[in-house]
Parts: sequence; structure tokens; C-alpha cells
Amino acid sequence: MQKNALCNRQPYAPMRAPGRLFPTKMLLVMKLTFFLITAAILHASAEGYAQRITWAGNNVPVEKVFSAIRQQSGYTIVASRDVLRNAHPVTLNVKNADIRDFLDMVIKDQPLKYTIEQRSIFISPKPVALPAAASADQQAIDLKGKVTDEAGNPLPGVTVRVKGTTQGATTANDGTFTIRVSSGATVVLAFSYMGMRPEEVTVNSSNRSSLNIILKPAIEQQTEVVVVGYGTKKRSDVTGSISSVPKDRLKNLPVTNVLQAVQGAAAGVNIINNSTRPGSSPAFYLRGLKSISASNAPLIVLDGIPFSGTYNDINPNDIESIDMLKDVSASAIYGARGANGVIMITTKRGKSGKPVITYNGYGGPEYQTNVVKNMNGDQYREKNHWYNIQAGRPTAPDLPYLSEQQNYANGVAPVDWQKEISQQGYIQSHELSISGGTESVKYYVSGTFLKQEGTLKGYQFNRSSIRANIDANVTSWLKTGVNMFFVNNNEDGGRVSLFNANALSPYGTLYNAKGDYEIYPIAPQTLYQSPLIELYNPAINRNKNINASGYAEVAPDVVKGLKYRVNASYGYRPRRTGSYIGRKMGDNLGTANVYNEESKQWIVENVLSYAKTFGKHALDFTALYSAQQDLLFTTTLTANTFVNDNLDYNNLGAAQVQKTYSADSTSTLVSQMFRANYVYDSRYLITATIRRDGFSGFGASHKYGVFPSVAVGWNIQNEHFMADLPVFNQLKLRASYGRSGNQAVGAYQTLTRLTTEPYIFDGVTSMGLIPDKLGNANLKWESTTGLNVGIDFAILNNRLSGSIEGYSTKTYDLLLSRKIPSLSGYNTIFDNIGKTANKGLEILLNSKNIVGDGFTWSTSFNISFNKNKVVALYGDNKDDIGNNLFIGRPLLGIYDYTMLGIWQEGEDNKVDPGTKPGYIKFADINNDGKIDANDRSYLGTQLPKYIAGLTNTFAYKNFSLNIFIQDVHGSLRPNNILDNRDQGGIVNLPADIPYWTSENKINTNPSLFYNNPRGYKYAQDASYLRLKDVTLSYQFNRDLLSRYKISNLMMYVSGRNLATITKWKNWDPETSPSSITSSSTRLNNGQGTGQQSSDFYPNTATVIFGVNISL
Amino acid sequence: MKNSRKIYSILLAGVMTTSFASCSKSFLDEKLKSSYAPDNTLVDELGFEAASTGLMSIFRNDYGNTQGLMATYFVGTDMAITGQPNAVQAPFDDYRNLNSSVTAASSIWNWCYKVINAANNIIKAADNKAATLTDAQRLLYKAEASFFRAYAYNHLSILYGGVPLLTEPVTTPRTDYTRATEADVIALIISDLNFAVANLPDPAGVKKQGRINKYAAAQLLAEAYLRANKPAEAQQAAQSIINSQFFSLVKNRYGAKANQPGDPFADMFTYGSMRRSQGNTEAIWVVEQQYNITGGGASFDQRRREWGPFYINMAGMKLADSLGGRGIGRIRPTNWWTYELYEKKDMRNSQYNIRRNYWYNDPASPKYGQLVVATGFDTIQNIYAHTTKWYEFQPNDPQGSSSFKDRIMMRLGETYLLLAEAQFMQGDLAGAAASINVVRNRAGATPVDAAAVNMDYILDERARELTAEELRRLTLIRTKKLIERTKKYNPKAGPTISDYNIHLPIPQSEIDVNKDAELKQNEGYATK
Repeated sequence: MQKNALCNRQPYAPMRAPGRLFPTKMLLVMKLTFFLITAAILHASAEGYAQRITWAGNNVPVEKVFSAIRQQSGYTIVASRDVLRNAHPVTLNVKNADIRDFLDMVIKDQPLKYTIEQRSIFISPKPVALPAAASADQQAIDLKGKVTDEAGNPLPGVTVRVKGTTQGATTANDGTFTIRVSSGATVVLAFSYMGMRPEEVTVNSSNRSSLNIILKPAIEQQTEVVVVGYGTKKRSDVTGSISSVPKDRLKNLPVTNVLQAVQGAAAGVNIINNSTRPGSSPAFYLRGLKSISASNAPLIVLDGIPFSGTYNDINPNDIESIDMLKDVSASAIYGARGANGVIMITTKRGKSGKPVITYNGYGGPEYQTNVVKNMNGDQYREKNHWYNIQAGRPTAPDLPYLSEQQNYANGVAPVDWQKEISQQGYIQSHELSISGGTESVKYYVSGTFLKQEGTLKGYQFNRSSIRANIDANVTSWLKTGVNMFFVNNNEDGGRVSLFNANALSPYGTLYNAKGDYEIYPIAPQTLYQSPLIELYNPAINRNKNINASGYAEVAPDVVKGLKYRVNASYGYRPRRTGSYIGRKMGDNLGTANVYNEESKQWIVENVLSYAKTFGKHALDFTALYSAQQDLLFTTTLTANTFVNDNLDYNNLGAAQVQKTYSADSTSTLVSQMFRANYVYDSRYLITATIRRDGFSGFGASHKYGVFPSVAVGWNIQNEHFMADLPVFNQLKLRASYGRSGNQAVGAYQTLTRLTTEPYIFDGVTSMGLIPDKLGNANLKWESTTGLNVGIDFAILNNRLSGSIEGYSTKTYDLLLSRKIPSLSGYNTIFDNIGKTANKGLEILLNSKNIVGDGFTWSTSFNISFNKNKVVALYGDNKDDIGNNLFIGRPLLGIYDYTMLGIWQEGEDNKVDPGTKPGYIKFADINNDGKIDANDRSYLGTQLPKYIAGLTNTFAYKNFSLNIFIQDVHGSLRPNNILDNRDQGGIVNLPADIPYWTSENKINTNPSLFYNNPRGYKYAQDASYLRLKDVTLSYQFNRDLLSRYKISNLMMYVSGRNLATITKWKNWDPETSPSSITSSSTRLNNGQGTGQQSSDFYPNTATVIFGVNISL
Repeated sequence: MKNSRKIYSILLAGVMTTSFASCSKSFLDEKLKSSYAPDNTLVDELGFEAASTGLMSIFRNDYGNTQGLMATYFVGTDMAITGQPNAVQAPFDDYRNLNSSVTAASSIWNWCYKVINAANNIIKAADNKAATLTDAQRLLYKAEASFFRAYAYNHLSILYGGVPLLTEPVTTPRTDYTRATEADVIALIISDLNFAVANLPDPAGVKKQGRINKYAAAQLLAEAYLRANKPAEAQQAAQSIINSQFFSLVKNRYGAKANQPGDPFADMFTYGSMRRSQGNTEAIWVVEQQYNITGGGASFDQRRREWGPFYINMAGMKLADSLGGRGIGRIRPTNWWTYELYEKKDMRNSQYNIRRNYWYNDPASPKYGQLVVATGFDTIQNIYAHTTKWYEFQPNDPQGSSSFKDRIMMRLGETYLLLAEAQFMQGDLAGAAASINVVRNRAGATPVDAAAVNMDYILDERARELTAEELRRLTLIRTKKLIERTKKYNPKAGPTISDYNIHLPIPQSEIDVNKDAELKQNEGYATK
């Protein structure tokens, strides 16, 4: 009923506050979605505003006049009887007058005023005018205008004031306002709105007609609100170190994962894109590596509640803000999980006001940033020729395998395997969101679809997600809300293998006689299958996350400032993979694999807070009690020997041989926290926190850990003496000290466990038990204590702002999966060992270089230096070479021989008698006349000396150009590609890496036969400077758009990973075959790098075209 | 207002109750639901049965997943050089590259100590009074575990010399291990094996085929006594096996291919004929494997492909079951083995036991049916004389990377040769010749004269009888003949081997991580 009434009478109605006219506010919300669409269709073109009135009468009561207006114009007139009681009757004779002129005449000399909002006329009592104003009133006119934010969203409730008078108004829900001023005068209108920078607009006869005021967010940090643990704070009241990701970085970039957008954008944030494989998530750590074996990944807190999904589960478009708690005092609020910092992700929520429908979409091609070309046929044969000479078997054929020899003899064209496995990549993303609400209920609903087709065949990722965030003010003392999302990540498909493509001979066979891919291209060698063979695998790989969280917040009227909030969250994450290897892939039995994983998590948090301000003192307290449980259940099914390949992985019971595995893991966490904040006169700030966590995974006597912290701040600019130094808009000192923990070990590490392995006796299966893991009953928290000092400043009218921070943290009782002598029967044990330290400096600078009429240029620069070292290990001041830990040296060290060059013919090699010409010549570091393990030394670390990001934004009229450059400097990394170990002369090698021969006696690279008996790692400088993102956008003129009822339209072109400067000779300095953040690499001294991992995927460059449109 | 107050108090009360409820201790207790723990599993007969089975499973997985590791027991000895190259084998073709970082040194070490730890677990748990075992059961499980512990220590101490001696399961990590003397290790081996011999059943009494019987322990004990230079005791141990009446040399055709052309010696190495239950009367201990049965095989048993030449890499040659399936030519026997070792009439040199010739078998080839005449490089990798002991072909797995053939770990043929060695060491040349001739007579070879018996002769005979069964490197180190015979018979590794190569280097990774004591490196590899 309601809807029909609205439609018939008020096609414009949705454009204004639905609540104004209709008391049944809540109902509206439910129907808006449908209504919006209908309204948009029904109302294709806008009617003109000019309405003509013809009326004549003598001493007619105003009510009657108004009713005539309604009949003639269709306008609704809203007025209360109280207001009209004082009105006197009207005598007029008017023909075909403009409705406003007519109204002016009607209420002339009446104690009334009116405003027209679209098709409604509001009558209200006239403010008692000052005598001065009254005298000037003879030629008063109404100034009308509209206030929006930068995105074109109307701002309701903006205070509009005529400067120098007491006249004022506030904007309506659609952002419009009307204010009466004397017609001839030039007036200055002042606009103010919380969180926005105040604006003043001089109005004269020339610009009266189009008063479109755009308020910009108050980027001054004083008014910015940041998300801290269990609440928000004004930036000016923050005492810890919190990096907020600039909102621009969250928009208009071709990223599938939010971390890709965050990379380089904030100081102290290290994000490593080990792989840009579609669907992969980068590795991430804040302020240096602290832990060696335990995870260095920050805790994700999504909408205030710790989140256990992955970054892929969070749709980047849904994100409103990202704040990173970097220093120990800020993250100590999350106690046991805060040591690596906390990433607070807040999703978008509805705002009261008209519904906003937004579509964001982009799409574009993807390319491989760099291809390390392999040898072509001639180069490959020449390489093998030299290999055989060097291996002392000169009669061996240049093409080692029969099929190669035959293909070559038959003149079959060489295969470019890299080309065969590649394809044109593309990415596209579509997102539709609707948000809005009333004072009582606000909603944000979004749906997205993202699809990425990789640059290698078979690699694809698609994600669909739905999110609904709803908040309701139930009563004056009760607020409640829910956040719900469902996301489906899909990485289905068999994938080609770059690893095999790199290894295979160009003379391998691509297709067999049937036209299928040849399974073993260099038959009879079966070490390398066709890189394309997996395309026959009908693999599925899907994971979903169904997550619901709700809160209720009770703020009793009786005790002002007291709030009780309960958050509850439940996450359900099923994952399934399936694969089938059939006859076409060389498995004559047919083998199916199915993996199911079910992960569940619940959290309940009780937060009690109390805030009180008296005089210049502001106090607030927060107390928390929470409990959490994580459950994981996995099943793995494999089966083989199927009748044929028809069933794929769908009926494992149809196979003759079946194996089943399952596993369960449960962990629990309970926490209590108390925080006190005190602010004096916005000048002196102090925060103290204490948290106690208990985690099930630790030893019986070490379940609980306590994590205290304290932080102070001084807003110097608020001091009286600063009034004389107006150059400073902000000057703030911060210092904090605290302790937080890292629990990141899995369940059951305290327990010694056995695993099962089947065996047979007389052909009958029998289950065997074998020792598996050595438990450590004394396992406890890894703790980090840290000091942070920072200065925030803004000068020259906020033209230059920034912050400088220094920190020093110490991490002790390191959770280390440390290697122990294998002679104990186990290779590793989880243990609390030693201490690491991180020191760092972070600088963030924001500058508005040019602020012109049409042209602005601003720059944002951040740089972070981190120095990491191992302080102590076992208390004996001895290095632990076996675990790659060196006292006083950074983690991830390269402990290796020093390469001097290459042994040449005729040189005296008595220092290393096993060598031959063409072998690497190492330095005899300890001068004992021989090369052995004692000639290894610490050469450097894989951790960069600094990382920096530079963003330049140019805006000219409606154009905006954003250029982001990323710099990672001073990292020494093993380069596997220089290690020409080629499996005994049978694999292809990169064409551009030279090799020593008796005819090409180079001194930089060894011979082909050199099989690296000492495990040299070929460490190389992996620094790089990268043009990471360039975005050019065009914002359509809002006035123009408003004619089509579009509040915002922006189009853009964006490119990612466009150019790189580096000395690194490999696929990409950023994507590495062996992850430096994986704990095994950390322990293995960077070893295991001789081989590139089998799912290695080249880094990707992307160019997209996108559009953002809001109604 | 009154109402709301009520609501607050209810809410707060709720918070408090949930808080205290979840405060209870059990919320943070861990319940291990999907793994067994030693404390709750090695407590009854079923638990010990499974642990004993698990021990065999670790034992069977001897080469982990290191391709080529198996070949390092043969390449660089008198027996073989590398055919198709492989990084793991490379240091054994050129001993100057054998250093403490090589994969072979650490892989073998780790495997042995895994066996030792699993055995120690069982021995310790069997002594636990709380376990619901009979005294007989306690002794049985301890005896089985003691056998494997002795086996691993024997393997280790031959290869590396004295090694750290662990006789208890590890419960807290240590990094201060030191090496025991080789004599101490041998003493433990002997004591473990004496215990095993005394408490293990005979082949009629074992719970399941494939479980250890007392004569397997006796055979290993004989070898240990030889190492300890106690040949009389060794002789006694070997004799006990021969006298037991449980075993007899295979002299007649039997088993799966009894009706096909062949000979008794070849029958023993036929898939389906290797176990005692399948008619192999000579077998003392067989480790079982079977194709495509859960628990049927070690994941990376490379015996078949490493011993077999890479004949399918020759134009005109196709994969065939009669050619033993797919070989990739890692182990190329030396010319000594190929041309000098055997008499022509020796059964062990018959066409059923050593393949010396191939005929082109691809019907599409113009040379179909002709003898393959290999020259040059092909004779190193693709076509060479080789033992057929590991021939195996599974029609559904032509490319197979693993073998699923049973492994005859110990058989009576070797017992006679151990006996001969014990007799020779006591100066009983006639006895030694007689023992050797038992084996030679079965093979139809010319009997040896007592005067001709010496250690080299015994090693030659072992090569003839036990090619690709005995781990040649261990035998040569044990008899201190590795250096001499490698120099003599191995043209590739011979010129590069030094005296210190008698032992493998202690793995550098172990030295590095054992930071609180010096795990002394073997001389020659040593840094100081």
C-alpha cells in the first residue's frame, strides 16, 4: 500500500528522506530496493520545476490558498495548524504566476516562511529577524543549493550560515538547503559539517543560480577517526602507531586481494607477492620479521572481531577502511595474537540518507611481466654437446632421448613450451552495492563477481560474494546489527606446469598420434610429463566462507557513558578439492582424489565500556571478556583402479583400491582485557592496557600469558604557547611501551604423537604405528616487547604533513620449529628459544605541492627501514648454523661460501682438489689452505634494508592521474636460475645465462657439468624499483549527471606492474620460487632453491578499464 | 526505565555466567582426537603389534624419496659406475667430491636413526609395567625391536665408523651428542642380537610371514661377530642357521614360472615366488611388497629401474615385461663384473640371471629381430650386461617409478658365505672352501680349492652369488677392501678414491645443529 501511494503521487520521493513524510520509516527500508528500480524506470525524464498558478480571492484563509496550489501544481504542502494559526487571510489576483512568486506573495508580511523541496512545500514560522535584516528585507531572496561530498553523495544536516548574521539553515536529506538573504548584497555562506573541512562560499548575483557545494573530508589528522581494538578513536587522541591505508589505494585497482592494494602504501608494511597466481594471497608482515617459525602474519580483525578466514574471503570493494596497529602498545590490546601487529578491516556500512546504488566494474588484459626465455633448439643441442664433453662422455648424443633424436632427425619443428602453456590473461570484476538507511536502520548490501583468467593455461580464479551489513537503533539505549557475508572462491581446473615447460627439451613431442598431448614428451624419459597434461585433469578447488556476526550494544540512559556490547561471530569455511588422473594422463588405473575440509570458528566477546568527561578531563575504560574456539576437520579420499575414466572423482566407491584419511584439530582461546584512557584538555593523552590470554595449544603450566602496555601522547599544537607558532597545524609526540604475544603454533604441539602407516604381511594390509612428532610440554607464548616513539606534524596550513616513527622491539621465547640432530629420530621440535630484535624508522610525508584552481599535485611518500637481528639463542652465545641463526645478524641470512670466480685451465687448485676447470672457485675464508664447510660465512640477509612507496597524484579539472612507485632495497636472495644443475644434461636451461666451456672461459658462471657439490646458493641483489600502479581517471561533471539522476560517474584506466628496474636475473624479484616468508626457507638457510617450485607462476602486469557509477 | 534496568541486569548476569563457565579449566585442555600418542597406545598387545609393524614400515622405506640413493651402495665400488648421471651418485664416481654436504651421507644417516628411535620406543614401552602384556610378549616385542636396532647400528657403524649411541627414545631434544667408538657400537649390536636370538621364534613360530625370526638375528649376529673379530662365534651363529633344518638351498625349479624356461636360481627372484610361503626354502627373511595394495610398497623403491639399462632409449627397442620392465640405467656394472667374474657354466651367469643380449623388439623397426650391437655411449647407459634379479613388470604401470618386488633380505646362500668367511678367519681354509662349494655346487660352478680361498675370493663369490642383493659398499667396508678393490676394478672412481673414503662423512647438517658438542668428522673429511 505504502509503495503504491508513493509511486502514484511522488515519483521523486526516493530522492529525499523517506522518513520525513511517513512515520513508518522502517517498512520503507525493506521496500526501497524494489522501489528504486521501479522509480528509475518509471521516471525516465525529469519534469521542469516551473509550475504556474492562477488564483484570485479576497480575504481567503491561507489553508484554502494552499489547497488551491496543491490542486493546480500537484505539490504537497506541509504545514501544521499551530503555524497557520497566526496567519492572516490573503487577497490576491494572479494569473499564471510562477509558484515561488505566488507563494512569496501569499506569505508576504505573514509570520511564515516556506521551503520547497522537490515537490513538497514546507511551511514554517519565520525566524524573528533582526531589525537590520528586517530593514534590508524588502528585497530578500531565497538562495538554494545543494551540498555533497566529493563522490557526489548528498550530505544531510550540514549547517549553513550567513556569515555575519544569525541566519542559518541545515541541509535536507537530499543535501539541499534554502536560505533567505537580501537580494542585492554579496553574502558569504559558511558550511560546516562534522568530519568535513568547513567551506565558505561568496555568493553574489553571478553565482546565485547554481550553488553546488562540495565538502571535502577533513584530512587533517585531528578529526580523522581510526579504528583501534574494541572501538574507534579520533586520530588526535591516538597514542600508538596506527597506519591507515589511504582510501584511494582501495579503489580502482585491478587487485583480487586487498593486500595487493595495500602493498607499499603504508609505512612499515611489508607485503611480498610471492606469487601472482590467480587466487593467491601475498605474504604480509609488519615491521620486520619477529618470529622464525611461528607465523609473522598480522591478526586480521574484521569489523571488530578476530577473523580466521583468508584475505581472499574479503572482497576488496566492500572495504571502507584499513587501519594497521603496528606498535606493541596498540596491538597489545589483542594480547597473545598482537605481536605481529593487527590489521583492522572495516567494511562499508549504510549511512542514513537516500539510498545509493553503486556499480563498480573493470576489466582488462594481463601479461607476464618478464619471461626468462629458454634455449631454442640450436642452443639446447649446443649446451648438451658441451655438457657431454664436460661430463667426460663425448660420444653421448647431443639429444639424450630417443624421441628427441627422432623428432630432430625427422625435422619436427622445435616446441616453444613456454609459448604453448601461455595464454592471454584477463581480469574482470563487477560489483553492485546498495546502501542507505534512516536514523533507525542502515543497510549496506553488495554483490560481486570477479573473474581472473591467468596468463598460463588452466589458471583461473573467480570469486562471487554477497555481503549484508545492517545496523539498527532499536531504542534509545539499544543498538544492534549484523554483518553477514558469503564468499565462494573457485580455482577449478587442471593447470599447466611452468616448471615442466622450462625443463623440457625443445625437441620433445607436443602431440601424440591421436592428437592428444603426448604424456612424456622426451620419452622414454618419464621424469618430465608434458606441461600441458594437467589440462586433462577435471580438477576442482573451491572454498567458501559463510560468516555471520552480530552485536548488541546497550547504553543505559541511567548511567551516561556506560556501554555494554556483545559481539558474536560464527564462521563456517568448507573447502573441497577433487582431481582425477586418468588414462590420457598416463595413469592406466585412474586415480581420483577428493579432499574435504570443514573449518568452523566461533567467538563471543563481551565488552563493557564507560566514558566520562568532566571539565577538561576525559576518561574512558574498556573491559573485555571473550572466548573463542576453532575447529577443523578434514577428510582425504583417494581411490584407484577404475573401470574407465568416465566418473572422474565423483564415485570413489567404484574404484578397486580406496584409501581414507581424516584429521581433527580443535583449539580454544579465552581472554580478558582492561583498558583505560585519559585525556586532559586534548593536550595530554595516556592509555594503559592489560590483557590476559589462555590458549589450549600450550603446555599445562603455560596456558596463560599476560600482556600489559602503556602509551602517552602530547598534542603540542594545543598548547597556549603554540598559538604564537601558527605554522604548525599539528604537532604531536607519542611514546608507547608494551608487550604482546604470538601464539601461532598449531594445536597439539605439546604432545608427542604417532602416525599410522600401512604395511603388508602375506599380502594382507596391516596398520603400523610410527613415531611422528616430538612434543614439547613446556611450550609457551612467544612475547614481544617494544618501544615506539613518534611525531606527527602538519605545517603550512596542512600543506605538508606526516609522521616520523622509531621503534625498537624485542621478541623472546621465540617459537621455533628448530632443527634438532636427526639422530634423535626426529628432525624438528617446536620450542621457545632465544631472542630477536627489530629496530626501525618509518617516515610518512604527505605534501600538497600545487593547489591551484584547476590543477592540484600532491605527493605521498613513505619509507621504512628495519634492522633485524638475533640477540640470543640458547644462552650460550653460539650461532646455530644448522637452523640458520646467527647471533647479532638478521634472520633469513645467507650463510654461504664466497665465490671468487671460476677455476680456469692450468690454475693450481690444491686448495679445492675436487674441482675441475669450469668449477666455482671459492674463497678460503679461514686461510687454512683448503675449502670446506668452515669457509662459509654470513653474506647478508634476504630481508630488505628499506622499502618505500611514492605516490604522486595530479588532478586537472575532471582528470586525475595517480602514479605509485614501489622500491624494495637491499635484499640478498638465492637465485636458483644461476644454478645450472641440469639433471645430468637432460633439461633445458635459460638462454641468457652463460656457461663456462673450454672455448668460452668465462669467470662468472660455472660449467654445465658443475653439479654444485657444496650447495652454493648463488645469492644476488634482489632490489627493485617498480612502477606499480598508474591510474588515470575522469570524473564526469556532476551537474551534467544530475540531469540523468546519476550522482557520480567516473571512468578510469589503470595499469599495474608496468615497469621494473632491477639487477635480479630471474623471472621477477618479487615473485620468488621459494618464499622467504615460509618458515622452511627461513630455516633451510635459503636452501632448496636449486629447484623452482612446481606451481611457480610468473608475475603479472595488468591494464584495466573501469567505471564507477552511483545513482 | 524500570524495564530497561531489569534487562541490563539480566544481560550482565548472563555475561558473568558465560564468563565463569568458560573459565573452567577444561575449556583449554587439549584432547588429541586424530593421532595416537605413545602413552595411550603402546599399552597393550594391539598397540605393540602396530608399533612392530610400523617399525618394519620405516625399515622398508630405506631410500626415502631420494632417487639414486640406492645406487650409492654400488657405484664407486668394484661393482659399478654410473650409467645415466644423477647428482646423488656423482660423488661416488669421483670421490674428490664426496664431502659432508652430500645427500647420500645425510639420507642414510637419518633413515638409520629413525629405525633406532622407533625401536627404542618399543623397547622402553615393553618394560613399562602398566602395559597389559604377558612376559612372553614383552620379550618378543623387545627382541623384534632389538633386531632392528642392531640392524641400523650395524649399517651406520659400517658406513660412518663410531656413531652416537642412543638406547632410549628421545623425549627432550639434545644438541650435545658425541660419537661412541666403533667397538662400543659393535658391542651393543652383539648384545641386542644375542637377546633377539634368544627370544625370537623360529620361522614356524612367527606371528606372520615377514616378521623377524631368530635365524635372521643369527645371520646378522654372524656378521657382527666377524666385525668384532670373533670368527668362532660367527661360525657358531652361521652354523646354527644351517643346522636348524628350516632352510635349504633352492636346487629345483619351483614357483610362479616353474614351467617356463629358467633355472632354480632365477625362480628365487621371480615376482610371486620369493616368500617362504611361495616355495622359497632358502629365504631366511623377506621384506614383502605387492603392487597396488594398501601398504604394499615403499613409495620410492627404485631397484628395478636403477639396475635395468635404459634399453627403451634405443631406436627399435620397446618396453617389454620379459626385459624386466622399464630400466633407466643408473647402475652400470664394471667390466670386471661383466667379463671376469663368472664362469660360463655358472648358473648365476645363465641367460635367466644375467641378460647380456638384446634383440630389437619393435615390429616397426627395420632391424626387428636382430641382435642389438651397442657401441660407444650406448654401452654405458642403454645396453649392458646386468642382473635380472629385480626384473618386474606391472602391465598397468609401465612407467612405474617404484618396484613392488619382495626383497630377500637374508637367505641361506649368504649364510654359507658368512660361514666360509668365519672359517677363513680362523685359518680353516678347507672348511671355508667346503662352505663356498655348497653354494658353487648349487650353481654348477667349478668347486674352489682350499688353497685358492682368500678374502678376495670370498668377496668375488659374494659378488657372484649376491649381486644386487648384498649392499656391496657395506661388505667391502666391513672387510676393509673398499679402497683396494675400487682402485683395482673401477676405472672411473678408482683413480679418485683415497684411504679416508672408507667411511662416509658425518652429515654436515648434523654437525651444524649439534652445537653443544663436537660431532667429530671422520678423518680426511675433517676440517681441522
